[in-house]
Amino acid sequence: METNNNITRLLEMLENPEAYSEQEISDIINSDDDTREAYRMMVAARQGYHSRNKKGGDVDKAWRRIERSHLKVSFFHSPIRKMAAAIAALLVVSAIAFAAFSIARLKQAPPATQNPTTITNNTARTNNQKADVNQPDTARSRTATTEPIVFDNIPLEQMLTEIAAHYGADVEFSNDEARQLRFHFVWHREKGLDKVVDDLNHFESVDVALQGQHITVE
Amino acid sequence: MTDKAIIKRLFYQHYGEMTRLARMLLYSDDEAEDVVQDIFLRLMEAGTLPDKGKARAYLLSAVRNGCVNRIRRKSLTERVKNLYPIEAETELQDWERRMEMAEAVSDFAESHLTEPQLTIFRLRFEEGLKLREIAQKMDMNIKTVFKHLSQTIKYIRQQKF
Repeated sequence: METNNNITRLLEMLENPEAYSEQEISDIINSDDDTREAYRMMVAARQGYHSRNKKGGDVDKAWRRIERSHLKVSFFHSPIRKMAAAIAALLVVSAIAFAAFSIARLKQAPPATQNPTTITNNTARTNNQKADVNQPDTARSRTATTEPIVFDNIPLEQMLTEIAAHYGADVEFSNDEARQLRFHFVWHREKGLDKVVDDLNHFESVDVALQGQHITVE
Repeated sequence: MTDKAIIKRLFYQHYGEMTRLARMLLYSDDEAEDVVQDIFLRLMEAGTLPDKGKARAYLLSAVRNGCVNRIRRKSLTERVKNLYPIEAETELQDWERRMEMAEAVSDFAESHLTEPQLTIFRLRFEEGLKLREIAQKMDMNIKTVFKHLSQTIKYIRQQKF
């Protein structure tokens, strides 16, 4: 009879454990051997039903996820990363020096008309020219001005990587096909990242989500 | 064969069994995937391989340890709320026997319980629903659901589970 009461108390507690202190929870489960074993049996039942579920995930997708994570981890631990950090630091110092020099000159020069920078996908251009998109001298000057940047027929992955870097965010593609979607998109860098993501979502074929500093493309 | 190729082969060979064990212990597909992914990421980063012939045992023990660590990080209230073992470290020591017992309990329920006890049992332990949610779903009084479940637990316990 005592055990029956204890199992009733156990079921009542499991219905709303937040209403009990940890000590009370422990006391109820350990009231006697039968109650303790009844809890174990319930755990086993829950485990058993989840074990019966034989569905296997997509093993290829799971492996690709591991490879991607490994690449990220490798980069952050590699000597190349340290070298990259040193180069980045050098570039920042140079950029500050250049900016200071430019400001001094701009004060003396007449104002110039600002034209948008256009990034196009010219399949005929060479690899050297292609570097213009990612590491150009124009890119440095772009960061120093607020002129809009026009991405013309550029893969979404390339476009978002550049945009995310500007805001210190990171990008994840949960849909690999979306990486190669191409758009004509005008990026106003003075806008906040959330507004830019809103603008991108105007394209029907893409679904971009922003959580904190993490961009996910569905 | 390179280390990465061996790890990839191990992954394809044991992924199903590993996620199944993790799912059984954590009741969540996403958490199960994370545990298995962490194990293979660590293997790739460390560049070490389990001993030949002991890979399965090594990988399944790693899953068990990963799951125990996750359960240990939860408060007692969270553990009982989700029906996790309250002393995961010791209770999951012998996970193979534990797995057999778990399957035996759910098999017994499926083959011996009648309605409405079976549906109540499934909704409570497979779906993880609270009794008031079950009562709502089955259009029953919560006291009736409570009584059925209480009787079912005693009945299964009599079978020495």
